[in-house]
Amino acid sequence: MNFTDVKWSGAILSVAMLLSGAANSSCDFDTDDADGPDFLDKIIQCEKQQDSRNKSAEASRANNSVRVTKLYGDGSLTASGIIERPVAAAGTLSHHANQSFVARQPYSLRPDAKFEESVTIAIQKLHLEMAHYCAKGWDMQRQWTEANSQQQGDFFLHYQFRCTET
Amino acid sequence: MNKLALSVAVAASLGIASHSFADGPIDGTIYGKINVSVVNTDENSSDKWKLNSNASRLGVKGKTKITDGLYAVYKAEFEMCVDDGDCKGQTFTQRNIMGGIRGSFGTVWAGKHDSPTKLAQKKIDLFNDLEGDIKNTFEGENRVSNIIAYTSPTVSGFSGTVAMIPGEGADVDGDGIDDTGLTDGMSYSLSYSKDNLYLALASDKDVDSQDLVRMVMQYQMDNLKLGAMYQQNEDNLGTKDESGYFVSAAYKIDKTTLKAQYGFIEDDVDGDEEETLSLGADYKLSKNTKAYIFYTDNTDSEVDSSDDEDSSFGVGMEHKF
Repeated sequence: MNFTDVKWSGAILSVAMLLSGAANSSCDFDTDDADGPDFLDKIIQCEKQQDSRNKSAEASRANNSVRVTKLYGDGSLTASGIIERPVAAAGTLSHHANQSFVARQPYSLRPDAKFEESVTIAIQKLHLEMAHYCAKGWDMQRQWTEANSQQQGDFFLHYQFRCTET
Repeated sequence: MNKLALSVAVAASLGIASHSFADGPIDGTIYGKINVSVVNTDENSSDKWKLNSNASRLGVKGKTKITDGLYAVYKAEFEMCVDDGDCKGQTFTQRNIMGGIRGSFGTVWAGKHDSPTKLAQKKIDLFNDLEGDIKNTFEGENRVSNIIAYTSPTVSGFSGTVAMIPGEGADVDGDGIDDTGLTDGMSYSLSYSKDNLYLALASDKDVDSQDLVRMVMQYQMDNLKLGAMYQQNEDNLGTKDESGYFVSAAYKIDKTTLKAQYGFIEDDVDGDEEETLSLGADYKLSKNTKAYIFYTDNTDSEVDSSDDEDSSFGVGMEHKF
């Protein structure tokens, strides 16, 4: 094999890897269909099935999102003065197998922010929460940040996580 | 531009198109198959064992929605040689590669691709890519460079494809003059499908130095699938004027498919004959995997000369993904 071959193979594999995400969810397509007289129809029909599968997957994700338990309120103070709403008693360890939660912690990027308001502390608190609800471990599903509309430079860091099966 | 740069440029242009112009998502699917067989060939009493790759391949295909009812479609397929990694000196060799625009008007597509005549065969060749492949006996099984084609929508079971093949300076018709036109070579097919019946008429003009007419039939009756083909072809130099037929049958019994095919073609110019006979069975191991066994005998009979007879026996497996 010469150097050109290596580059050629690498280029093909690179393109294949770029498309591998889509390939993993490929529809039912027989390899020999690619060389059939109706190969164009097969491409279109197959991808239509793909579209419907994507819709199913989106619906499934939507359903799953309903089952995610929020561990925080809307950010406003309740009558008791508690902002965040734990669903398990503090100080206890529990494991809710396969259950998903979303937790959030505030942090600040203001120049005058205290160390207790730093993102480092927010992450530390989130990990304490995750360990609290998923004592045997968890999978991180999603992470995102939202600005605090009431204070410029303040944010909420969100972790969506799911407790492991065992 | 070297191949790597070309590939990157194509990938980059696809990416730009997907983000800037396409209305829908890029749906790409990787597909392929590994097909390996251990074959004993007996060529005129000379015995040899081989491991064959049988056109194992890797491909990518998909469509991108441009507007409602209008799509860009593409396919890029490469052969990989599982037996020794050497595909004519390359790690991968190009198979069918095309891009096109698909709408209610049909599909306009171009690339390097099986001709409409070859596509019209519709896998009545039950030993495709093996020693019994009909390309070893019949003309017309061509993968053509520089093909520009139009495929009609299917209307009441009818569909047609017409393809132009520019010569790009090659002497495709053998008249001693370089051909530089758009339609130096032509290939077309007209097919009809309804329920279990498939019929096709296909023709080539100045493709692989041949003018050719082919008729194909395939019919499925429960577990039995029958195929038949009749073909006439003559080369540009008038040294070959062949006509022949081909029949095949496959019968499915649970996970096993029994297969048989026979083809015969005779050259009216010199009286030479070619014959192919294949028998075999596939055993389905899973939805995408099968094991198979086959026997093939290909005979070339030339007037005033002893027959050239090749027989092969092989076992193999195919896995599609």
